[in-house]
Amino acid sequence: MGSWWRGTRLVAGRSITENLRSKTFKIVTAGLLLISAAAVVVPQLLGQDETSYTLATIGRPAELAAAVDRAAEAAGLDVAYLARDDEDAVRRAVADGEADAGLAGDVLYTPQRGQSTFPVLVSQSVVAIAVSQRLADAGLSPDQMAGLQEIRPPEQVVVGGAEDAGRADTGFLVGIVLYLAVTFAGSAIATAVATEKSTHISEVLLAVLRPSQVMVGTVLAVGAVTLAQLLILTTPLAVAVRYTDSIGLPATAGGDIALAVVWFLLGFLLYAFLFAAAGALVNKMNEVSATITPITLTLLVGYLIGVFVTTNDSDAPASVAASLFPFTAPLVMPIRWAAGDVPVYQLALAMLLTAATAVLLAGVAATVYRRALLITGRRAKLREVVGPPPATT
Amino acid sequence: MRSLDVTVTGTERSADVGSPHGVLGVRDVAHSFGERTALVGVSFDVPPGVITGLLGPNGAGKTTLLRILLGVLDADRGAVTYDGRAVRFEDRRGWGYMPQERGLYPAMPVGQQVVYFGRLHGLSRREAPGRARAVLEEFDLGDRWGDRSDQLSGGMQQRLQLATALVHAPEVIVLDEPFAGLDPVAVVNLSQTLRRRARDGRTVLFSSHQLDLVQDLCEEIVMIDRGRTVLNGPVSVLRAGTGERQLRLQVRTTGREWLDPFPGIVVVSDQADELRLALPPDVDALDVLDAARAAGAVVDFGLDLPTLSQIFLRAAGGPAGRQEAP
Repeated sequence: MGSWWRGTRLVAGRSITENLRSKTFKIVTAGLLLISAAAVVVPQLLGQDETSYTLATIGRPAELAAAVDRAAEAAGLDVAYLARDDEDAVRRAVADGEADAGLAGDVLYTPQRGQSTFPVLVSQSVVAIAVSQRLADAGLSPDQMAGLQEIRPPEQVVVGGAEDAGRADTGFLVGIVLYLAVTFAGSAIATAVATEKSTHISEVLLAVLRPSQVMVGTVLAVGAVTLAQLLILTTPLAVAVRYTDSIGLPATAGGDIALAVVWFLLGFLLYAFLFAAAGALVNKMNEVSATITPITLTLLVGYLIGVFVTTNDSDAPASVAASLFPFTAPLVMPIRWAAGDVPVYQLALAMLLTAATAVLLAGVAATVYRRALLITGRRAKLREVVGPPPATT
Repeated sequence: MRSLDVTVTGTERSADVGSPHGVLGVRDVAHSFGERTALVGVSFDVPPGVITGLLGPNGAGKTTLLRILLGVLDADRGAVTYDGRAVRFEDRRGWGYMPQERGLYPAMPVGQQVVYFGRLHGLSRREAPGRARAVLEEFDLGDRWGDRSDQLSGGMQQRLQLATALVHAPEVIVLDEPFAGLDPVAVVNLSQTLRRRARDGRTVLFSSHQLDLVQDLCEEIVMIDRGRTVLNGPVSVLRAGTGERQLRLQVRTTGREWLDPFPGIVVVSDQADELRLALPPDVDALDVLDAARAAGAVVDFGLDLPTLSQIFLRAAGGPAGRQEAP
């Protein structure tokens, strides 16, 4: 086992070094880093404007400012004031974008239709001042007035639909990323194996290594590189959703993203050996895409079920079946899990079935891989490399 | 098809070697690709300390046999032995193999490539770079350490491939068609490399379809044709054992009537500048030479043994016999 692992480690090490040295790796990784950073930073930059507002008024109405400030403080907003001489000037300040709202007499000027947060807050403050005045006129004492002003609206807690929608969005994103990651990693494996075969390196390797060492080493290397790229993409996002609330995903999405990484590992293991075996069948590099088509189509079916069926109805029979079937589970179960209530036993069952299928496939793929590598000069046929060996003389 | 009487079997020569140490044995190895039979039951020994050639025409089964020796392919029947016992995976890890098709990582620097294969063959992280530098120096590639492999010329890549096969100083060296496509200088250099390894007591086996090119290099040969062994033994014994001598002449006369007194002589080749005659055992070469001098001026002459090609063709039943179905 020690000798087996030593050779496998050498194969994986060489492949990782060559991957890291390639231009493709550098470009893709830089792109992922940019996407991840942008997903975290941009919403925060956009969100900063939403917490500070400017109100244009005629002169400086102290009573109004005090009421607005009290309401703004409770809502966690900052308000600045812009004093103008007359109603026209107030109107122009809002129209020119100098102020987010303008109050002149009984008229509240806003830049657009609809009930956005700040105009509502100003309106409520104006009404509160008028109500207080009427109540004072009706004979309420200063203590009673202070008591009225301490009344707070009920605390708003988002439950059910809103949070589930956020998690469903997470599941949708996870589905896309997993599909792309497994497809790209699988293609990379098939290409690596086909390259070694077409350049006849595999014959040299098979004289000193067991076929399983070459195959597992290549799969581990591509898996490690892809996982690293996936972590580069997801880690900033997962940290951001855990510690800030400004990127539009619920806090529970962090767990969903972590689970997606586990599903990537399972899905990758399931498909990686199939891609390796398919890569060994080719004779020329331009045959790789045609040879891996049946595998990528299977992945695509899983992805489409996840996106078009599971995101709409996570409990539909097709969703449940696809989330348990090993070849579609890595893509469908993360979406279903993020979208709603999946019993934990179903999650565990899906993982177990996928892992067991991956182990079985690895054995079959190793046989295909070894036989196919020695068929050169033409594309190997599947029936030549599966089943019992050729008849003896 | 017939084998010459002088064929020395592997078993007999194993006794000559004495200890089986370092002896590579092939025992009744057979292999088929579906309906097509590649090897019918080949047996021979490869002793250490000499260069052994596995010779035969294209399609004879040489590459299939070498792949079975290296464990790249499984034999349908038979066995490969080393040191007198069944060969193990660990034994093969210490051998050096250069396949017919060159296999190098195109983008990998030369030095890293040799270090990598050295490590695969069991060299430690510490000793591999030093051994790689030494073998690259031996093959005049010391100054190309950092260059990508695909930036080297074809000849350099061939030397690099050989360096990856020899970096770990293997006890057994197996090369598949190493002389194919080489220029004369490269042939001499490769021959010297193999002789050095053989003198050091290594077991050296290489295949070739260019029989006459390598007849001076090989000390032992195994000739196979259509999956069968047709000749096996020391080159000198095989060539002398035919009992045939060939008289090579450059004689300034176009007529050949002076050969009439020697009815047993066969004209092997008759070209403008050279006449080659096969002499039966009862004919004195000097009598033939005198007859030629009487007919015209003899510019050059020599007495040769048959070439490996000629021996092979006779053993395989001649060109006509080779066209028959197996």
